[in-house]
Amino acid sequence: MVELMDTTEPGAPPPATRPVPPRLEVSTPGAGHEGAEFDALPSKLSVRDLDFFYGKEQALFGNDLEIKENRVTAIIGPSGCGKSTHLRCYNRIYELYRDQKAAGEIMLDGENILASGTDLLSLRRRVGMIFQKPSPFPMTVFDNIAYGLRMHFKLSRSELSERVQDALKRGALWEEVKNKLNEPGLALSGGQQQRLCIARAIAAEPELILMDEPCSAIDPVATGKIEELVQELKSSYTIALVTHNMQQAARVSDYTAFFFEGRIIEFGSTTQIFENPAERQTEEYITGRFG
Amino acid sequence: MSASTVNVVRSPLKPRRMAGRRLANGLITTGAWIAAAIGIFVMGWILFTVVIHGIGAWNWAFFTKLPPQGQYSPGHGIANCIVGTILITFGAAIVGLPLGFFGAIYLSEFGRTGRVASAIRAITNIVLGVPSIIAGMFAYGLIVVPSHHYSGFAGSFALMFIMLPVMTRTAEDILNLVPNELRESALAMGVPRWRATLGVVVKAARSGLITGGILAVLRVAGETAPLLFTALSSPYWMTLRGPSSYFGGPTANLTMFIWNSANAPDPGLVRMAWGAALLIIVAVLGVNILTRLLFQRGKEW
Repeated sequence: MVELMDTTEPGAPPPATRPVPPRLEVSTPGAGHEGAEFDALPSKLSVRDLDFFYGKEQALFGNDLEIKENRVTAIIGPSGCGKSTHLRCYNRIYELYRDQKAAGEIMLDGENILASGTDLLSLRRRVGMIFQKPSPFPMTVFDNIAYGLRMHFKLSRSELSERVQDALKRGALWEEVKNKLNEPGLALSGGQQQRLCIARAIAAEPELILMDEPCSAIDPVATGKIEELVQELKSSYTIALVTHNMQQAARVSDYTAFFFEGRIIEFGSTTQIFENPAERQTEEYITGRFG
Repeated sequence: MSASTVNVVRSPLKPRRMAGRRLANGLITTGAWIAAAIGIFVMGWILFTVVIHGIGAWNWAFFTKLPPQGQYSPGHGIANCIVGTILITFGAAIVGLPLGFFGAIYLSEFGRTGRVASAIRAITNIVLGVPSIIAGMFAYGLIVVPSHHYSGFAGSFALMFIMLPVMTRTAEDILNLVPNELRESALAMGVPRWRATLGVVVKAARSGLITGGILAVLRVAGETAPLLFTALSSPYWMTLRGPSSYFGGPTANLTMFIWNSANAPDPGLVRMAWGAALLIIVAVLGVNILTRLLFQRGKEW
């Protein structure tokens, strides 16, 4: 069985910031994801038979996946395998482009978000997203964070600034920007901008955070900070992380799904995927023989 | 990532001769320099000529008094033309800029590659290429003929017709520079589409949009042909009502004054025409440079 360090109950209040981020205990190679622990954990999101189309071209084929609550699930695979496409279904952001269509079921807390009646605004409040390139809004640091808060909640001025400060603290950015709140978000460094985007997303109190290669455009030091942050955030949030960096997946995730050509080849605990992959393709990718 | 190095035996590459490439490089570089020099020289020459001929007409009366009736006499000016040009251009801008702006938002944010958007884009491109005198004839048929009189308003309408496609195209190009990730980030916050568009996308592009708008206005400020059939010209001050008003009758403007006076067999009037030309050039150039200086560092995204 796989040992998971974080045993925080779902719904429990976030613990105080830990000085050392917990690392995955890589121990005995476990069996597949059919383990009792996996089954015992509640799923935040369940993907069933998800197909995706760019116009007439099919990009995803019958994806099934469970995103466990208060866990980090990594999605890995070679370029063009559909990992970002898959993630972009969770908040239906693909609908910005008229020729993109998804079919199947994505159950968020038991409700199919792909159903036509879904309110996209409240779905996207519940499911936050961080993109590959840091994308601060063209406004001050403060307003970047306050943007979602103002949009979704009625807050007094003092509540608002309290919330902004709190989000920046949880985004591990407060110390660096507390004297720069009125400067444009774009004046920050790349790594700070990405943490600003994370803080902006968590300010709106999402339940699930999607990260689409959040570290691919920033330097290793900033990447380290964001990885630590991901570890801290999982006590309060559920995280789905797309990455092309396998070491990153191994470092920060609890579960890993390996994608290849639009299909989920293998899904299981990160330890099992990296130490004892069941599928030949998974093993070849992880050992660097292709991709 | 494979560690083993594979030794492939290839035939040795034969280098090309460098002399021909150096010659081609030299020819093209020199050609570009010469073309640029000719262009700048011609523009400089025009500017120089206008300054030489026009500066003599500039005095206090030139900017504050009415034009002479018939023969030239000193102590006259083109004040009514200045007021008229500003008003006619403003009238065009107040309708043309917002229409162009929202049209561009439709094209870049909503219509995109759809059939309606493609049709609008095609029409915009055609109208962009239409000679400006056609815009004047269009306004003539639509406003001057039914109302039985020329008017500054008809002139504004004609100019608006020219400004609209310029603004639409410029604004669309600028909005297209905003990266899609910014749109996605805004929508991913659970923000309605219109708020994401106005609050984030347009905001990111704002300085470019302002610059584009000002340049679209300047583009039409020096037009003559569209005013030929519409605003015509007038030796009088503009009034609020009646046949000398913006809506009621011919309205004085700088380009029509130049058109009428430049061919007059009267050196004094010709000099005033040069003076008016200089004024347009200085004003357009001035606003242009000012705009660029103010919004140069506008690429915030």
